[in-house]
Amino acid sequence: MKLHIKVFASLRQKYPDINDLNPLTIDIQKGTKIVDIIKLLDFTTDEVHLILLNGIKASIDTSIEENESILSLFPPIGGG
Amino acid sequence: MNKWLKIDLTTKEIKDFTIPEETLRKYLGGKGIAVYFLWKHAKKLEEKGIDLKELDALSPVNILIFATGPATGTKSPNSGRHHVMALKSPFTGSIGSGNTGGKWGAKLKFTGYDGVIITGKAEKPVYLSIIDGKAELHDAEKIWGKNSVETSEWLRNEHNQSKAGVSCIGPGGENLVPMAVIMNEEHRAAGRTGLGAVMGSKNFKAIIVEGNEKPKIAKPEEFEAKIKEHVEKLKENGVTGQGLPTYGTAVLVNIVNQSGLFPTNNWQKGVDADAEKISGETLTEKHLIGKNPCWGCVVACGRKTKVDSGKYKIDYTEGPEYESIWALGATTGINDMGAVIKANDNCDIYGIDPISTGSTIAAAMELYEKGKIPDEDIKGLDLKFGNADTVVELSRMTAFREGLGYWIGEGSKKLCEHYGAPDLSMQVKGLEMPAYDPRGAKGIGLSYATANIGGCHVTGYTIAAEILGDVDRFTTEGKASLTITFQDFTCVVNSAVNCLFLTFALGLDEYVEIIGPVTGWDVTAEELLKTGERITNLERMIINKFGITGKDDTLPKRLLEEKMPEGPSEGQTVDLETMKQEYYKLRGWVDGIPTAEKIKELGLD
Repeated sequence: MKLHIKVFASLRQKYPDINDLNPLTIDIQKGTKIVDIIKLLDFTTDEVHLILLNGIKASIDTSIEENESILSLFPPIGGG
Repeated sequence: MNKWLKIDLTTKEIKDFTIPEETLRKYLGGKGIAVYFLWKHAKKLEEKGIDLKELDALSPVNILIFATGPATGTKSPNSGRHHVMALKSPFTGSIGSGNTGGKWGAKLKFTGYDGVIITGKAEKPVYLSIIDGKAELHDAEKIWGKNSVETSEWLRNEHNQSKAGVSCIGPGGENLVPMAVIMNEEHRAAGRTGLGAVMGSKNFKAIIVEGNEKPKIAKPEEFEAKIKEHVEKLKENGVTGQGLPTYGTAVLVNIVNQSGLFPTNNWQKGVDADAEKISGETLTEKHLIGKNPCWGCVVACGRKTKVDSGKYKIDYTEGPEYESIWALGATTGINDMGAVIKANDNCDIYGIDPISTGSTIAAAMELYEKGKIPDEDIKGLDLKFGNADTVVELSRMTAFREGLGYWIGEGSKKLCEHYGAPDLSMQVKGLEMPAYDPRGAKGIGLSYATANIGGCHVTGYTIAAEILGDVDRFTTEGKASLTITFQDFTCVVNSAVNCLFLTFALGLDEYVEIIGPVTGWDVTAEELLKTGERITNLERMIINKFGITGKDDTLPKRLLEEKMPEGPSEGQTVDLETMKQEYYKLRGWVDGIPTAEKIKELGLD
């Protein structure tokens, strides 16, 4: 099934062309854990601080069950 | 150091005074001590038989306070800020309050003063200089009409003080635009509740400050040791050490949008399909030319920016911040970062609140979309969502009260009432809410609803827990205590006075390590949080005198009744009443009014 990946802020240093308007789409097995995607992208789990799966907070242990899911990865960020 | 300045612009009397130490300990400084002064002033006006509900915020009896606190101007990080308050806001009718970055706060401290209270009204425009401890009023005829950048340059040249801090109003304040701001260092604003109009109503243009007096530290060795630890913590923290320095506050655009609570087209949606184009990443890649940290700041979220070409070309400006990008961008349907930068620059130099400006333009756009504003009222402006030229032009017209700009300056509440659709105004207590839709984070809804000044995010920033932290954003459970903790701790920060962004890395224990050694007081975290609670309650007691109670602690109907139409927060509304009743119970309030027992407990009786 398809997974659309978006990376933000300093995570774009590794993937400068991947963003909200241009996600990276890959094929994955149903039930793949987010930690495996993070490893696949060559990030460490420390680098990825906030994870959204279809806009909802998720953890590295969350399994991806739905086709066409969107995975958004962020480093530590804040502001206001 | 305990020296305050009081200036009566009517009589031109200038006098110094000190505050009893027990009062300082009770209110700390900054916002806390300003609220205490406002309370005393309110009581005095009542004794004179003045009805505070009817008090005209632009009358000479309103007072304006510029305040620093024990942390300001010290070596503790990010301590260049100051807090400004007025008894009544001309924009909302609630209390006037704004906190600002820059260097002015530290520079004021270096003059030997902790704060300035302005009363009365000058017969002709004046400004104040406080240089090397000497306070003087001057004729301001030559700078009346100048914008914030021109005013600052003129004053620094006139006083031969190239690095002085300048706090001033632009045309917005002079023209008594109700949402006018007080600017300092050209691009920093005490931005909410129309403090600039209060200043303008007093014919008071600016305060220039410079000096060499360093704040006294009671326990310098202990202080130095703790400060080193704090700086290390800030540098090691991912938010203050990396996220904010690299991308500025605009780094929030994508996380808030991806979470589906980025208010778009006047809060009709929570996802902006083009948010990437106005994100912190885009700002950094295409417009950033440097950083401009506040005085003593180790984070440096302040952006120096430019627009290279096109009709919005600007060689140098600063910002925009996350909230301004949202207000002048997403909620008006704009995805052109150049236009957002230009409109934000207009707000800065002309001195109006970008959050209220953008949000009110968005309300006008929805009014137009729904056929509520006739074409003859907009005189050639294209009021459709997404028209960047209109937003840029209205950001100028508002400061000069031209055409539809008159109504934008009045704010969305009056605008929407005027055109017969009050529910399209996205405000609380008359103050436009900032860039987080509470349907996607329930705590911020309670925070907006109960904020004494109205729709404000920085009086209780629960987003840090709900979106950037681990707290469940959709539940209402626990949000009352979360909001109370954020509100009271923020009062401590704004009374210290230093930067709220410190709290991404430093907690109450570190504030004990700042306040204790500076003052010599044996404070505890519990005492500081109790001080914050006292300030929140006294501020609430003031607004109660204006007739503001539980009925005003609410949210726009759209957030309470209209389900979020799409995106990750789809189907959500805000169950405010449940959270609010729990909040009142925990606060010791009944219908938005502190009980006699609570007042006594806090020593406010």
